[in-house]
Amino acid sequence: MAQIAVIAKENYPLYIRSTPMENELKFHYMVHTSLDVVDEKISAMGKALVDQRELYLGLLYPTEDYKVYGYVTNSKVKFVMVVDSSNTALRDNEIRSMFRKLHNSYTDVMCNPFYNPGDRIQSRAFDNMVTSMMIQVC
Amino acid sequence: VLLGLKRHYKKRCQGRMRKHVGDLCLQAGMLQDSLVHYHMSVELLRSVNDFLWLGAALEGLCSASVIYHYPGGTGGKSRALRLQGSSLPAEAANRHRPGAQEVLIDPGALTTNGINPDTSAEIGRAKNCLSPEDIIDKYKEAISYYSKYKNAGVIELEACVKAVRVLAIQKRSMEASEFLQNAVYINLRQLSEEEKIQRYSILSELYQLIGFHRKSAFFKRVAAMQCVAPSIAEPGWRACYKLLLETLPGYSLSLDPKDFNKGTHRGWAAVQMRLLHELVYASRRMGNPALSVRHLSFLLQTMLDFLSDQEKKDVTQSLENYTSKCPGTMELLTLPDGLTLPPVPFTKLPIVKHVKLLSLPASLRPHKMKSLLGQNVSAKSPFIYSPIIAHNRGEEKNKKIDFQWVQGDVCEVQLMVYNPMPFELRVENMGLLTSGVEFEALPAALSLPAESGLYPVTLVGVPQTTGTITVNGYRTTVFGVFSDCLLDNLLGVKTSGSTVEVIPALPRLQISTSLPRSAHSLQPSSGDEISTNVSVQLYNGETQQLIITLENIGMEPLETLEVTSKILPTKEKLYGDFLNWKLEETLAQFPLQPGKVATLAISIKAKLDFSCQENLLQDLSDDGISVSGFPLSSPFRQVVRPRVENRPATAPEGSKVGDLSHLKTLEAVLNFKYSGGPGHVEGYYRNLSLGLHVEVEPSVFFTRVSTLPATSTRQCHLLLDVFNSTEHELTVSARRNEELILHAGECQRMAIQVDKFNFESIPESLGENGQFANPKQLEEERQEARGLEINSKLDIHWRIPSLKRSGEASVEGLLNQLVLEHLQLAPLQWDVLVDGQLCDCDAAAACPVGDPVRLEVRLTNRSPRCVGPFALTVVPFQDHQNGVRNYDLQDTVSFVGSSTFHLEAVQPSGQSACLGALLFLYTGDFFLHIRFQEGSRSKELPPSWFCLPSVHVRALGAQA
Repeated sequence: MAQIAVIAKENYPLYIRSTPMENELKFHYMVHTSLDVVDEKISAMGKALVDQRELYLGLLYPTEDYKVYGYVTNSKVKFVMVVDSSNTALRDNEIRSMFRKLHNSYTDVMCNPFYNPGDRIQSRAFDNMVTSMMIQVC
Repeated sequence: VLLGLKRHYKKRCQGRMRKHVGDLCLQAGMLQDSLVHYHMSVELLRSVNDFLWLGAALEGLCSASVIYHYPGGTGGKSRALRLQGSSLPAEAANRHRPGAQEVLIDPGALTTNGINPDTSAEIGRAKNCLSPEDIIDKYKEAISYYSKYKNAGVIELEACVKAVRVLAIQKRSMEASEFLQNAVYINLRQLSEEEKIQRYSILSELYQLIGFHRKSAFFKRVAAMQCVAPSIAEPGWRACYKLLLETLPGYSLSLDPKDFNKGTHRGWAAVQMRLLHELVYASRRMGNPALSVRHLSFLLQTMLDFLSDQEKKDVTQSLENYTSKCPGTMELLTLPDGLTLPPVPFTKLPIVKHVKLLSLPASLRPHKMKSLLGQNVSAKSPFIYSPIIAHNRGEEKNKKIDFQWVQGDVCEVQLMVYNPMPFELRVENMGLLTSGVEFEALPAALSLPAESGLYPVTLVGVPQTTGTITVNGYRTTVFGVFSDCLLDNLLGVKTSGSTVEVIPALPRLQISTSLPRSAHSLQPSSGDEISTNVSVQLYNGETQQLIITLENIGMEPLETLEVTSKILPTKEKLYGDFLNWKLEETLAQFPLQPGKVATLAISIKAKLDFSCQENLLQDLSDDGISVSGFPLSSPFRQVVRPRVENRPATAPEGSKVGDLSHLKTLEAVLNFKYSGGPGHVEGYYRNLSLGLHVEVEPSVFFTRVSTLPATSTRQCHLLLDVFNSTEHELTVSARRNEELILHAGECQRMAIQVDKFNFESIPESLGENGQFANPKQLEEERQEARGLEINSKLDIHWRIPSLKRSGEASVEGLLNQLVLEHLQLAPLQWDVLVDGQLCDCDAAAACPVGDPVRLEVRLTNRSPRCVGPFALTVVPFQDHQNGVRNYDLQDTVSFVGSSTFHLEAVQPSGQSACLGALLFLYTGDFFLHIRFQEGSRSKELPPSWFCLPSVHVRALGAQA
């Protein structure tokens, strides 16, 4: 696992966490450019089947060292996960369940009446969840 | 084997030849033929596994099909690109983008307008043609064949690019991105730096084509970095900068700070910041410091929330370095290619939260004269009230503030600012930006501590002309960058209006007094804002002069001055005029030119109650006789104590006195209304208030008051127990009396002989005042008037020789009803005449022994009612001066006629008299006590009305 990012509807980061802290900017670029693919996928899915839409976007694009997976909520909040390509243990199903966990945790954050939608996520519970997820994957 | 080899070789040659023919056909525009040839070539080459040529043939097939499907082409740009290899690719791409997009807009329209594959005429031609889906498959195949060869990197890349273009037309961005992803990893060896740049630029362009703006920006940035790679001998900073600018939209970044003023931050701050840093660096290396200052200020202004403390420090450090060479300005920067960089005002350094225009200090605030205002209103509308006018006024008020500034006077605007930086922020040249009136802004420099809370800053300036002034914003210099911050552009600034009227110049008055300034401020309830407070300590009853020096410190002549005073309400009762002044002498010096001085003398007289209520009550009870309702002519009156009584202050009394020695405070406000110069013409004046704080120390107290009848019924003695509550020796004097010396804390009785008063004449003067007052008030007023009258007669003064201070003392407050009654001249005036002589005083009337002495009792009725009839008995007695009185005088005195006198009823203002006669048989001193007979006196009349003088007769032996 390299990075987990939560991106607002307006495409700015709400939360970013990457494990090797050095060279963080590289991940920023990676997630930022992956938004192109996310946008493309969202528009490709069309507006017809909003209800039945699969939130999991699958592999956004592979790079030499990393795989970038995406997930978009109905409110167009994006989750992007960057994982090491060498980690073959991670199958699509695992990624999918991780995204679901992330989504649940994000929903909890939004339920906090003191959280302003659009602000950076500073919830400790969310942070702990992300940490545990990263440990689990690595 | 050889044969097989030969066949194999032959097939390869045929296949390659077919491919070549196909190429030629395509070049010659024979689309159909080329398709056929390519197909055959593919068949042949596939069988012999000649992968490189197979790939080429497949690519040719794809090209031909693309030409067939999209006669408009995937863009003349590929051709154009090939033509201008030498010039910068990014530029070229940029130039062609608009045209290319036009073509790409609607591929569906192209097929319907152009050659339609479904028409029967075209059926034969379409047979060999690949379907759009197949084109991509074939491209994929071709690329996979190319990838088998390390040296074929270039053509593999080229095939990828072509496939992407086709996919872009087909709007299949996802697949296109896969091709591009592949293209990124194609290993090209020995590329020149220029080629590398070109490659990244094209990648960027292609990403742009498929709508992947972020990817596009990413590769453009990579290209830009490539321009200045360390391996390049001459880094192309200019090109780098240009490419970086082109990436801005991809990072949703604009260089106009206004776009960041509203709402939340847009875009990905981390990458935006990185880009801005690179822009700053590139522009600096380009040798354009103004540009780098602009970018750096932009970075600081817009990304402030995302910078860490260390970054903030670093950025400001480098900004200061840059601005030391090239200060930041407020001008629009224009780049050679036409891009303009708007100025970046530092609205967040410091952050302004509140803007408030301050009124002038109370002493300088202009006021409109009432009468003139009334005229204005009446001139505007014939109605006293009209809702339309009220509405307009309300609208005006939204912007205009309801106070005025004065031309030539320093005016203030208060800003609440705070410093978001983790270090001290130095703001220089902070001044106001205004419009409407010529305004001289006086800039201030301030230094805000790190992460300060809200910090008030006052910006000042002097309006030079009159009119309506609008405060638009403020100007600062921070880190060497000049900023003009307009209030309209500031986010979350609270302002209570920014427009104010400037009225013509007025003079300024400065007041200094002979008294020391006081730290006391008057009670806030007073309402007026006091500019200066002075205080003075006075003894009760003392009068002091307050000299006020008026100086015109303004630029305009002082033409008018009005002085009024207001005494703040106190619990204390104040007698007499507290403040008194004569303005005429001062006004004679007017108009007062600038710098000139005038004086005004005000006398302060503190005259409070001199009584001490508790003591008085107590004494009344133990000394009831003196003031009780017994007829004063009663012989028992003589048994009273001696007149002057030394009474040392005993312990309990001393403590009581201590309570009374509290300081009492009087406060008053003197208002000076003045005007002059052009402001006076406009009907404005200023009001200066002087607070006066007077501490009144008790001087003397009258602890007890009582009356003693004098020998004459027209006079009486007023007994005052005077207590010296000061710590000094004090003398008290009253009119016609010798001085009485009192040591500190001493109490002595003082007797003053006074004529009785005829109060009947006084209340009339109050008539019109008291008309509507209730009876109680009327009675109070009457009593006050009486007190004043008595006091003026008494004229009691005290003096403290050691301090050289003196003052008056007043009995006004301590005269109660009983005392007053005694001091009052009774409405029934009784006169006793012995031998035709008025017998009223101590002096004995002399009469010869043996002759009848005429005794006449006259009654003058001044009361408004009819009195009488009365029966009087004359009782003679002798006083042995030892307390024994001898009433047994039948042998000594005899009456001629009856000893009882009868008086008829007397009408108001009537007079009546009765006559009798006495015969003294022996010489001696006799007293005649005239008594009313039982029952003859009407009970309802007060006893003091029946005070008859006692008559002292000295019977002498006959001389002749």
